[in-house]
Amino acid sequence: MRTMQSQSTDLYSEYVRDWKEKGGKVLGYACVATPVEIIEAAGVLPYRIKAFGHPDTELGDAYLARFNCRFCRSCLQLGLEGSYDFLDGLVETNGCDHLRGMFENWQHVKKYDFFHYLKVPHFLREDSLEYFTDELALMRDAVAGFAGTEISDDALREAIDTYDEVNAKLKRLYALREQTPPAVSGTEVMQVLCTGSSMLGRDFSDLLDEVLEEKAKARVTDYKARLMIMGSATDEVDLIADIESTGALIAADALCFGSRSFWTRGGESGDPLALLAERYLGHLFCPRMFNDYERRIEYVLDTARRAGVDGAIITYNKFCDLHGVESVSQRMDLERAGIPVLVLEKDYGSKADTGRVKTRVQAFLERLGK
Amino acid sequence: MAKIEIRQHEGLIDRAYEAFSIIDYLPDDLSDEEMEGVLHVLPGDLARTMEAFLARRIRKTSILFLKRMNDWLKNAHRTKQEGGKAILVPFNFPPEAVYIFEGAWPVTSEVLSTLGVLALEGQGERYWDYAMGLGLPDSSCSANMIEVGSVLTSEDFTPDAIISDCFGSCDINSKTHEFLARYMDIPLLFLEKPVDNTERGVNQYYKYFFKLVEEMEEFLGQKLDEDRMREVLGLANQASELYWELWDLHKFRPCPVPNIFSLMTYGTRFTQWGTQNAVDTMRSMVDVAKQRLEKRDYPADEEVARSLWTYTSYYYDMAGLFNWMEESGITHLGDGLDLVFPSVIDLTSRETMLRGVAEIARNMPMTRQMGASSMSVQWLEDITWAARELDADCCIYCGHHSCKQTWSGASVVRSELMKRERIPTLILQGDSWIRRMTPMSALQEYIEEFVKNVVKRG
Ligand code: SF4
Ligand code: SF4
Repeated sequence: MRTMQSQSTDLYSEYVRDWKEKGGKVLGYACVATPVEIIEAAGVLPYRIKAFGHPDTELGDAYLARFNCRFCRSCLQLGLEGSYDFLDGLVETNGCDHLRGMFENWQHVKKYDFFHYLKVPHFLREDSLEYFTDELALMRDAVAGFAGTEISDDALREAIDTYDEVNAKLKRLYALREQTPPAVSGTEVMQVLCTGSSMLGRDFSDLLDEVLEEKAKARVTDYKARLMIMGSATDEVDLIADIESTGALIAADALCFGSRSFWTRGGESGDPLALLAERYLGHLFCPRMFNDYERRIEYVLDTARRAGVDGAIITYNKFCDLHGVESVSQRMDLERAGIPVLVLEKDYGSKADTGRVKTRVQAFLERLGK
Repeated sequence: MAKIEIRQHEGLIDRAYEAFSIIDYLPDDLSDEEMEGVLHVLPGDLARTMEAFLARRIRKTSILFLKRMNDWLKNAHRTKQEGGKAILVPFNFPPEAVYIFEGAWPVTSEVLSTLGVLALEGQGERYWDYAMGLGLPDSSCSANMIEVGSVLTSEDFTPDAIISDCFGSCDINSKTHEFLARYMDIPLLFLEKPVDNTERGVNQYYKYFFKLVEEMEEFLGQKLDEDRMREVLGLANQASELYWELWDLHKFRPCPVPNIFSLMTYGTRFTQWGTQNAVDTMRSMVDVAKQRLEKRDYPADEEVARSLWTYTSYYYDMAGLFNWMEESGITHLGDGLDLVFPSVIDLTSRETMLRGVAEIARNMPMTRQMGASSMSVQWLEDITWAARELDADCCIYCGHHSCKQTWSGASVVRSELMKRERIPTLILQGDSWIRRMTPMSALQEYIEEFVKNVVKRG
């Protein structure tokens, strides 16, 4: 866990450096709609783009605008200033308007030799699933070409199995957090997930074994309330730590850097690409998906009930349309289900916001009588 | 702050409808004296709007335009009263795709917001505030949120269903309408454009479009009638031909097309294409421009600059923007919303007609640019093409705060326009529908400075 803590907010971690030094290739992606199994099956390291270090955003602002989410501006900043020069290419997805803008500008300036655009439909229906399956076939060809190898069905199946294993272990880690008293804090879970998002699945799986073993008997006792957190894509370990410093314990999440990235990756198809299409498009619990609110809120309510939370924090980055609008319905539905809610709009990674965030969480705890 | 209460009949659509009914009493050839009398009795905000529309050089067409918009609003009510269905659509969905159905009437979200801003005292602010009160984010789009805020009060005209075809090209627009449908418990039909201009992407779009047509047939309980389709789409074709005629007239120097026709063109396109009313309004605009061309008339001593607006314009002060520019010698050649690329539909069969409408829908503004594989590349291509065609000296990006997707590409578009075409772009910041963000006087100053120091010198 200690290694994890030191590496979890390091962009070019020891693990990645080591991989590169051995001649390994790295592809950057941003949205959890990207099937990392395809990248891993090609022997390439799938790397989820993060904005650690929360840099100033002058460069990001020059291409995007201050009306774009700061997470995307920060990632772009890191990309343009060279912090991401270890990436060998990018896989774009049309997650949201800001992400699209980030990728377009990044590629406009950096002109990677390998740049693949995976087009993800915004709704789930037979015809969109078929289209997405074909998209995955295109992605497979593109990534195989980039890696100079073939991606066989067997290699894909193996990668799928690996991620099944990873996901099962992550669920065990979540169970350790959901239990009373918990064995692991929200900050630690976030650190694990962030670390894993820069690793090969098979290595992450081994690391998870160590974490699970180390944490099995640990207990977190000094907390006042169990909260759930949900909302925009954010890798802010600091945010979770700030919230937990007020005495709250983040016992569950429906974050895109959290449970939404692995919880419900099910599917039935025998063909590996069709299976991946089902796993990803069929379980993309993000407000970018249209006409799917009922399933999303069910997922959130299930999570909240399972973890027995006292309240929920819905957080979103300023200017995030998808989560901003969704937060209104979510708040109404959570409150209807008897779960008090704090809606926290914030600027991504802004240190200036820390005090305000803590004050609001403290006030929320008081509202909960904690 | 006092709680915002919207009482019965205080909804935007109902109020705008009532305010607009005065138009019916205006004679087509209103005199200056009569106009003064009218302005005298109108509330301030509406008077300011009418002052812009009733400027003598455009008065006749404006009265026709306003009357037709009023008909459109009236018919939305009438359709519902007669048991038909009013369907809320975004501006990037072609209304003719609704008119081809018997007893269905399209009401266009952004146009409703604009009408509210134009006609109501206090413009659309109270509805915006109501939506904010529900917790919707303040970076939402006022083009939608004003009208949606009003419907959310449950004290306004409520559509029977919503069509959304914005996801993939505008997150906030699509989310806002999805939210409204759920909140009001009305059906939501949708159409996605895969951000994919390859043959596969285009075919997929057609598939989705045909599926939407099936769903509309089911919702409306009717099969499309080929004769009706032919009639509606024949009228749409006529309007499209007039659109291109007007487009060509913009090419003359000085430009014979009045600035505000930009707004009237897409106001008509987004609401009435496929009706005789659209044909009449478009024809009137073409006639006025032709007359002005013949007489070599221009509202200022000289045409100082020809500006192409790259996305939206500002709609909270028509006189302050369109008329002021024209009187200062700055032509508004149109904006991104004028780039509707209407093609003439083959009326041979149901299939050719449906394919024709699908192709039109695929190329509606925003869908075409922001829903392309690359937002900035397609947008840049379209703007470059339009700037060349219309002989623009400069571009202006209005910087509507909610258009995060265009903000994402604005800087690339500006630098490439300069590099490739030597056309400078002014980037402004302001809400296109809400005046409290940037006052018109400030925008005028920026535009004046830009024209004086950059465009004229360049
Ligand atoms: S929040 Fe949604 S769109 Fe954004 S990265 Fe996560 S899954 Fe993708
Ligand atoms: S493109 Fe801009 S103006 Fe249009 S709906 Fe979206 S945010 Fe609003």
